[in-house]
Amino acid sequence: MSEMKPSDVAAAEDSSEEQDWNAAKTFFDSLKSNKPRPPKPRFAVSIAVSSRTLFNMVAERKIYEEEGVEKYVAFQVEHENEPLKPGPAFPFVKVGLRTSLFTHFQLAFNLSDLTIERFCMTGGKSPIGYLEAYMTNLYLSKDSDKVTEAIEAGIAAATVFMPEKESELSDTQLRVAFDGDAVLFSDESEIIVKQHGLDTFFEHEKHFENQPLAQGPLKCFLEALGKLQRKFYSKNERLNCPIRTFLVTARSAASSGARVLKTLRSWGLEIDEALFLAGAPKGPLLQKIQPHIFFDDQMFHIEGAKDLGTIAAHVPYGIGQKYHKGKLIEQPAKKE
Amino acid sequence: SKDSDHAVVVAVASRAVFEPGAGGGDGVYAEGVAFPLLQALQKVNERLLEENSAESLLFDIVLITTDSQQQQQSSQLISSTKHYGLEVSRFCFSTEEDFSESLLKNNVQLFLSTDRNEVSQTSQKGVLSALLDEYTASCPSEQLRVLLCGDAVIRPDTNPTPASRQAAQSFSARLGKMRQRFGMSDSPLSITLMTSCGGRDSCGGALQTLRSLGISADEAYCLAGAPQGPILSVLRPHFLLSDGFSGLED
Repeated sequence: MSEMKPSDVAAAEDSSEEQDWNAAKTFFDSLKSNKPRPPKPRFAVSIAVSSRTLFNMVAERKIYEEEGVEKYVAFQVEHENEPLKPGPAFPFVKVGLRTSLFTHFQLAFNLSDLTIERFCMTGGKSPIGYLEAYMTNLYLSKDSDKVTEAIEAGIAAATVFMPEKESELSDTQLRVAFDGDAVLFSDESEIIVKQHGLDTFFEHEKHFENQPLAQGPLKCFLEALGKLQRKFYSKNERLNCPIRTFLVTARSAASSGARVLKTLRSWGLEIDEALFLAGAPKGPLLQKIQPHIFFDDQMFHIEGAKDLGTIAAHVPYGIGQKYHKGKLIEQPAKKE
Repeated sequence: SKDSDHAVVVAVASRAVFEPGAGGGDGVYAEGVAFPLLQALQKVNERLLEENSAESLLFDIVLITTDSQQQQQSSQLISSTKHYGLEVSRFCFSTEEDFSESLLKNNVQLFLSTDRNEVSQTSQKGVLSALLDEYTASCPSEQLRVLLCGDAVIRPDTNPTPASRQAAQSFSARLGKMRQRFGMSDSPLSITLMTSCGGRDSCGGALQTLRSLGISADEAYCLAGAPQGPILSVLRPHFLLSDGFSGLED
């Protein structure tokens, strides 16, 4: 990031809604200070977030959808000096910035969404060209069409959801949780479960235990995080590493877990904690882990996570999109 | 019809519009790199007149030639223009010495050329000029895309003078006014702001400056030090203007 001139901090009333805002600005401004910080890696992860994931813009979105784009823009301009409330991706970005892990840029529709150093206002156009041009490691948005487009273009992407409750998240360690199948790995095994059942799945996984799974849409993001982690390990900072990764999978350790671990090893990737739930709900475990973000391909798990206060991000990839709670979804007639 | 008080006069080097020397068959020149640009300018005029048939804020397109060879083939130039249906209001033939004066005399508000030296000279004589190069679109486009560079040092060889800054701002203000004739989507003209070095305050300030000039940017990119190449290859503007939009104190 470039050096900034000191900017005047606008006087703000200390309402409870604005404390988060002030806190974030303070963190951001503290990046300019000379206070000792964790070793800054030369390799930084590039995250692109849409304004609606970074900030809570539910009211604004309503205007956009109900009254049209011109009214939306007018509203934004009218309120442009008012800070926005944090959205679901806010803690993830905040801690990532604070620990100097991310450089990032923001995609927004309107100028009043500016708060970050590097941003793009694409006026509603597809951001894929820009994501590719700047080698984005992860794209977070509320727009599942754009997210799907990004995944098809080989960019790790997910739609982020606001949890139902708040949780206490770490300020100093970025905690990222991933589902396994159809997120880190391809959906090849999930297809077997959906089409042939669990028993066939277990047999298949045991049989092919030593054959690595194909990679999934978020494998490259895990890899980018791993690269950052290794910088800390090489400086003997393993204990203080500001990134911790988790695998949270419905697989069971005994019957189908080995293949997953062997696949990761074959890719040269480490995951800090691998948690095999053997089909148990993910919500309670995630509540304990308290990740800044949790990636899963199935909305069922996303909802379970959200209900218990975890910030969950849906990866629209693979066979899981055609099913809900194990049943094939009736495809609704496409809206014209 | 074009009221000379309100028309935005854009002069383009004919060498950029037509391939020099190349035959397009039937004695007509082949299309050059600025050809799509001319079509886009024309499209804006068409749409402006569709919105208001009495519109006077239109692009007034002038083809200017110094190339003595092209001057000898002036009739071929004119017939090529007709052949492609290009709406050129004037053809200027000038010597290299009189070139900048010719532009000034014709009240040219923007001069576009593929020749770096030419652009540098006219710029120094106070004519707002932009170089058409590998960054600028030569592929056909439905929409005229203009890039305004806030703090960029894209053209290190041009020194912005107060006069050229003023020219850039007043030209852009007229573009901004044209842009207002259309709604948020489906506009034949798109104005993009880019700042290269400064952070959000720099870009935010530039956007405010634009707004004070009556320009509402469709897109904005604050690169904050990131390289320009990738974004330019995605944006593919027809031309870009630097200086005059800095949000920081001069």
